[in-house]
Amino acid sequence: MGRQLTISCFRYNPNIPGDKPRMQDYKLEEYEGMTLFVALNDIREKLDPTLMFDFVCRAAICGSCAMLINGRPRLACKTMTRTLPSRFTVMPLPVFKLIGDLSVDTGTWFRDLQVRAEAWIHTNKKFDFNALEVRMDNKIAEDIYDPEQCIECGCCVANCITANIRPDFIGSTGINRLYRFLIDPRDERTDAEYYEVIGNEDGTFGCVGLMACDDMCPKEIPLQENLAYVRRKMAAAGLKLTFQGVKIS
Amino acid sequence: MELAKNLQTTINRSYGKTDLYVDLAQSISGVLLIGFLWMHMLFVATIVVSPELFNTLSEGLDRYYLAQVGIPATILLIIVHIFLALRRAPVRLRDMRITYRMAKMMNHYDTWVWVGQVVSALFVGVMASIHLWIILGAWPLRAATSAARVASTGPADATWGAFTFPFFIVFYVIFLIAGEYHGGFGLYRILVKWGWWERHTMGWVLKGITVIIVGLGIAALYTFTQIAASLPAGGVIH
Repeated sequence: MGRQLTISCFRYNPNIPGDKPRMQDYKLEEYEGMTLFVALNDIREKLDPTLMFDFVCRAAICGSCAMLINGRPRLACKTMTRTLPSRFTVMPLPVFKLIGDLSVDTGTWFRDLQVRAEAWIHTNKKFDFNALEVRMDNKIAEDIYDPEQCIECGCCVANCITANIRPDFIGSTGINRLYRFLIDPRDERTDAEYYEVIGNEDGTFGCVGLMACDDMCPKEIPLQENLAYVRRKMAAAGLKLTFQGVKIS
Repeated sequence: MELAKNLQTTINRSYGKTDLYVDLAQSISGVLLIGFLWMHMLFVATIVVSPELFNTLSEGLDRYYLAQVGIPATILLIIVHIFLALRRAPVRLRDMRITYRMAKMMNHYDTWVWVGQVVSALFVGVMASIHLWIILGAWPLRAATSAARVASTGPADATWGAFTFPFFIVFYVIFLIAGEYHGGFGLYRILVKWGWWERHTMGWVLKGITVIIVGLGIAALYTFTQIAASLPAGGVIH
């Protein structure tokens, strides 16, 4: 016999007129190797088919199942129920738009971020379909691998006080995203061009340094290092800028 | 790639350098103030060694105009720092509510520490003003005057008969702890934001320094009360 779990779930569907936000308890039996993702699926299958939550990969790769588990943003699929007390709460992530119950729309937020942060390789090189791909130095490939692991789950946005109270702040994930391009030699942007994108209060200089992102990132990306690197780099770029208009190309 | 280039030129507005200067100035003013605070406490702690050393140092600061320049400069720095750091603090009621709820719900150490920094900043701001007002009214600072000030039981004892309460000791103990807490964790946060160091190790080093400085401050306060007790009539107010 496993433990009897009581999962207190946030329930609210904004699409049902008159529906009120409330907490609802679900009781189920825990078994070996159970993750919260499994438990929520059990609830939906056996107890309540109306419970809304997101999941795709169940292996901490898609970033869909991030939610507040006992108050902290975590991935449901990466959280073993045995690490939790027998009674715990699950709530949707703050900051993002609520779709219903535990499901939030991180997509719109991240789409906006990618456009504002210009999160793609900027290059003037013409792509040659027939040529062999240029080899990348192993050290650089490894350096890029770290920030590139971000799965856009939104945990670092949800647990950031600044992101919670300043809607335009691009968050740890945004700064980390720019870090990924800053260290990529294929991106031909100058530091001055990067500065235009994040050298401001909504970007790197908006971070207060509370480090909840660094402590709670489900992918354990070294965010403290990456954020500090971008801040130093952008400060250096900003102090050298002349601002007669930043040249593109 | 032409699309990308067009996006870059049309989407982004130029922010200029104000945000950078303001952020940099906040950090620099913070570093200067914690430097001042630690130096101040080391100077005050010379009282533990001997009152003569304390007086020599104090007279030296006056003679070479270090105090006359340093005090107004520090006041200016504090005012600048308040204005720069205030833009970080949750000032709207809505922001305060979110901050408190998030801190409580996540129960995350660094977030709570920052809430403490905002609160201690209020204490430091008010208490530093009182402290400055009193010391500037009792210039010059010497071992005897400082001892009398620290040990004085406040204006209440003159009007309230036998009622005495060591207001200034309580005031200075709170001021010392609030100041060192705010400064110590402030420096930690500056280094986290800009620095290369792993923050947990760095946090312990800064906590160690803070505990030592608070210890020195308490020792200095104790020494002052001992000196005051040996003064004629238990010293005078101010």
